[in-house]
Amino acid sequence: MAGTVIGEGLNIEGDVSSEEEVVVQGNLRGKLTTTDAVSVGSSAVIEADVSAQSLTIAGQVTGDVTAAERVDLQAGGRLIGDVKASRLTIADGASFKGNVDMDV
Amino acid sequence: MNDSVIGRGTVVRGNVRGSGSLEILGRVEGDVSVTGELVLGEESAVRGSVTGSHITVAGAVQGDVRGSEAVLLERGARVVGDLTAPRIGVATGALVKGLVRTDGEPALGAPRRPAATIAARSPAFPARAPAAAPAPPKSEPRQPEPEEALESEPPAAPKDAKTAREIPPPPVVPALAKGAKAKKKKREE
Repeated sequence: MAGTVIGEGLNIEGDVSSEEEVVVQGNLRGKLTTTDAVSVGSSAVIEADVSAQSLTIAGQVTGDVTAAERVDLQAGGRLIGDVKASRLTIADGASFKGNVDMDV
Repeated sequence: MNDSVIGRGTVVRGNVRGSGSLEILGRVEGDVSVTGELVLGEESAVRGSVTGSHITVAGAVQGDVRGSEAVLLERGARVVGDLTAPRIGVATGALVKGLVRTDGEPALGAPRRPAATIAARSPAFPARAPAAAPAPPKSEPRQPEPEEALESEPPAAPKDAKTAREIPPPPVVPALAKGAKAKKKKREE
């Protein structure tokens, strides 16, 4: 069980900072920072810069994304913003617009 | 999934609102408003107003708490702000600083279930237990028994004539006005 779950139907406007895994199924506008993993569910809508250890996107994210480890953009996921991560996968069927910086 | 959790290691600066139930174990600096059940865990801290249907508080809240159904403060809860709900429960060990008001209509059809929950948890809410009402009639007939009255209720003892006689009256100390002794000496001279 993830430490923090922003369920479907929940709206957060503001900064969320955490030291544990964050699962987003609802709406978040502002900023999301965690030292652990972030999982963006298929029903999630995020308008925020996201910074995490690793990031999995199956929903909508608008904002710059930074991961210490990796970013996985899954099929059906939609990302508009820049990605800064040493590893990045984009699944077939995902939407993506933005720059990629892989620290090379 | 409709259930949300703000975990122990999470801080939210901003407003949280929405449908469904929410459990807060971490910190929120902003208003919280949900349509479902709201649980504020032991180590939670909320600075802002809190709104929900059935609210259980075991942590700290600095702001008003308003429940459309009920607000229950558990042991260890610390609330600085007003409490408003049709049903309010405050357990021993909970701290409240603010106006407490039970008003508003309980949600139609809903009120029976949470009432049963309170009854089941009666140790946590002793004030609600019926013990307070039937207790006085029970203790009154016992008072005439001198031994028990002496042991358990020292203030009741003087009622008993025998014991009253055994206790010596308080020593009578004449109240002398300041300088009275000196005056007496003068008169004697």
